[in-house]
Amino acid sequence: MRVEEVILPGVGRKYTISVHSGDRIVVVVHHSGQRELQYFEKGELEEPAATLDLTDEEARELGAILAGVLFAPEAVGDTRAKLAAETMEWVKVAPGSPGAGQRVGDLATPGAHLLAVLREGEALLPNPHPDTVLQAGDTLVVAGPRAAVERFLRRVSA
Amino acid sequence: MIHPSVEAFGLAAALLALGAALVHRLRLPPLPAYLLVGLALGGRLEVEALEPLPSLGLLLLLFSVGLEFGPDRLGQLSHRVLRAGVWDALALPLGTGLGLLAGLEWRGALLLGGILYVSSSAVIVKLILDLRRATYPESEVVLGVLVFEDLVVAALLVLLGPEVGSGLLGGVGLALAYWVVARRLGPLLSRAVEGFSDELVLLTGAAMVGGSAALFHVLGASEGIGAFLCGVVAAGLGLRERLERLFGPVRDLGVALFFLTVGAQALGLLQGAGWLAASLAALGLLLKLPLNLRGAREAGLSPKRQHYAALYLIPRGEFNLILGALALEQGYTLVAQVAVMLVLASIPLGSLLMRYAPDWLGRSRRPGSSEVQRVGRSG
Repeated sequence: MRVEEVILPGVGRKYTISVHSGDRIVVVVHHSGQRELQYFEKGELEEPAATLDLTDEEARELGAILAGVLFAPEAVGDTRAKLAAETMEWVKVAPGSPGAGQRVGDLATPGAHLLAVLREGEALLPNPHPDTVLQAGDTLVVAGPRAAVERFLRRVSA
Repeated sequence: MIHPSVEAFGLAAALLALGAALVHRLRLPPLPAYLLVGLALGGRLEVEALEPLPSLGLLLLLFSVGLEFGPDRLGQLSHRVLRAGVWDALALPLGTGLGLLAGLEWRGALLLGGILYVSSSAVIVKLILDLRRATYPESEVVLGVLVFEDLVVAALLVLLGPEVGSGLLGGVGLALAYWVVARRLGPLLSRAVEGFSDELVLLTGAAMVGGSAALFHVLGASEGIGAFLCGVVAAGLGLRERLERLFGPVRDLGVALFFLTVGAQALGLLQGAGWLAASLAALGLLLKLPLNLRGAREAGLSPKRQHYAALYLIPRGEFNLILGALALEQGYTLVAQVAVMLVLASIPLGSLLMRYAPDWLGRSRRPGSSEVQRVGRSG
């Protein structure tokens, strides 16, 4: 894939993306946040086969889908699932991080729910009891509003 | 008791809205409608009562031209676009030559050359956005050529400032001072501004634009250049997006009123304008077409797009009127008349040609293919 970027003074930025098949996509990102897309079939230089207008928000959603963020194909690592303003995070407790050795009850953060703890070689621990002590290597599944979840993650892994 | 300017403003805004609504139905851009509404009103419009909005509109327009089309853009242009800019710039000496042939002295002839040469970046950007042409390759070339033009004309304006001796000195001195400030204090200032609230940025920006214009005026230089340089400095501080967002609506309102008053005052100025002025204006329109066709070819556009590019560059606007006002102050009435005629004729003509060029030029080559399948549409 080849990407060319040019500045359009007063308008925004233009990206010309040529993909493996020889088709091209031209994307203009306006200062206003609006996006204009044009699709050119292989060999066609003059007239686009299709055009598409997107608002800033639509463009971001589309970008997330294209990047595989929004509907992640596999639930591994720090995959994020986005449910409107709510979020769900998988996070590994690293050795030496503040979360290791802490009681779940001490980490309680308003709004953030610790749904499960995955511990290597053990059965899944759903709805962990407040007295459960986290260990390095545990994987935590946390859900809630993004801000609360991020607060929780900071307390665990700072 | 209500101030009379409020009534005048309300009425003017209503008429502008009406004009914009009418042309919107025809899927035409609104700018020419503002000019024509003003032209239709003529002397009945109380221009003085609308002040300072039209004057501010022009200054803010030049400010955003400086923001977007400043010297830093020159480095971002590709070589092929620069070649188109150089071809286009030949219109300046050619126009000056025309002025000398018409019997003007060198100063008047240079002003005329500038007026025939410079196209309006503000009008053309707005047309490109309104007509949704930003994705096409000719827009890139046209916008690059405009960067080139604005810098040449800014330099010309500094050299030809209102007052012959002191204006030149003041203009060059201030321009240098702004450059030094931007260079020396740039990082410091941009860090400081980052902490400002939007409102503070808006007010500081407005004060800077108005203050610069006044400062340049006091020293006998062109106030328009003051506003333009302000934009250049602000862009250097990394404030481009933020100021564009903050000033956009205020500027658009002022610009609409500015073009309204240009239309309203045009008839008075054009009284006694003869064939000479009209033919100079017409020659000015024609002069740039072959140059821009050639430039667009050098820039690697296809034949059809070369024509589009040449047509896009027809509209004249802010800098032509500023040069015209300067010419009037210095006693070159003919030159000022040419400027007003060019702006009045080129904006509606250029908008129409830009709007319909794909229908006319596109259809003749490949029937049916100009019907682009539109998948989605918003805002």
